[in-house]
Amino acid sequence: MGNALFIVWRESAEAMLVVGILYAWLRQRPDAAVGMRYLWGGVAAGAALALVLALIMLGIASSLSGNALDYFQLAIMLVASGLIVQMVFWMRKRGRTFKKDLESSMARNASAANWWGLLIVVALAVGRETAETVVFLYGLGAEKGGIADLPIVLVLGVGAAFATFWLLQQGSRVLSWRMFFRVSEILLLLLAGALLVSGVEKLIALDVLPTLVDPVWDTSRLLDDSGRIGGLIASFTGYRARPALLPLLVLAAYWAVVWWSLGRAGRSAATRAVPAPATPAGEALRRAEHR
Amino acid sequence: MNRLYSLLRWSPIAIAILAAAPALAADEAPIKLVARDGVFTPTVIEVPAGKSVRLEVSNEGKTAMEFESRDLRQEKVIPPGGKATLTIKAMKPGEYRFFDEFHEKTGQGRLIVK
Repeated sequence: MGNALFIVWRESAEAMLVVGILYAWLRQRPDAAVGMRYLWGGVAAGAALALVLALIMLGIASSLSGNALDYFQLAIMLVASGLIVQMVFWMRKRGRTFKKDLESSMARNASAANWWGLLIVVALAVGRETAETVVFLYGLGAEKGGIADLPIVLVLGVGAAFATFWLLQQGSRVLSWRMFFRVSEILLLLLAGALLVSGVEKLIALDVLPTLVDPVWDTSRLLDDSGRIGGLIASFTGYRARPALLPLLVLAAYWAVVWWSLGRAGRSAATRAVPAPATPAGEALRRAEHR
Repeated sequence: MNRLYSLLRWSPIAIAILAAAPALAADEAPIKLVARDGVFTPTVIEVPAGKSVRLEVSNEGKTAMEFESRDLRQEKVIPPGGKATLTIKAMKPGEYRFFDEFHEKTGQGRLIVK
């Protein structure tokens, strides 16, 4: 029971994170109404994707080779990882140049394309893990006596997911917007890195890529990635207790590129930034503007 | 639309990677592992070092299971009554843990490479 609940929550936590952060971000924008349509459209598309994936997973029972599904999941991971990073950069840019954007219709058109990107990010985040939840719940329903648990698990699981969502929204109220956004950025970038590591490991499991050195080190005594907490950290950051060299190199390269690009974006922003407000009142004014 | 173009630009590389996937599974009979609602039989599997082996996991339980191993880099959801064959690459001697992520408390096992 408690285990089932934890699984439902864990599988939906990633989707909640992505949806929750984008929701909080959209809510404080003047064009929120447009964005929300794409956000909820993405949730709906993700639910549909999850159902299709779950049906394929359940269908594997009869077929022997499930490699096609592995490649499909791999594609989802890599695309999601790339799009999440792109989304972080887009959110930054949009946060900074929003007023200018409104004035130029060309920029508005360009950003219309990005709303679709937002929809895809949300759909992939929702669809990926939710499929596993559906299979898990299906199994629970098929279990003798499990059916009695099913409605409770569903209600509590959805409740726990909403609690997570609510907490994220509270975070955006309690913390200053800037701080919330900074933390959100880091969480999203960590998640994208974790997806990248999982993708590379899937490619190793499918025998497409070599491990190079395996394992490079063993920290399972410090933090076991097979445990509950370690497992959660592993799936959100790409942490591995016994990593192979190749995923490690890929993750290092990923962070190097992200770091460098964020730094570059920051510098180019600073060169054409408005002078920073010197007084506390000015800072408050600017913050109000950003809300 | 810019992003769509850049996605398209990368797609040949993705296709090349996918197409390169070799069917490398060893031809020997797979090692059988049965999972039953959080109980693995057997819980300890021994395999020779430096040799790729296939592991056939069948779920004979009433609930779905997820065969997962960060050590072996495997992750597979198997519905009740389902079966999946995993290829485990040649490994160095040592102990590699696997578990049933849907029954984490009881569903633990080890693969020992000798």
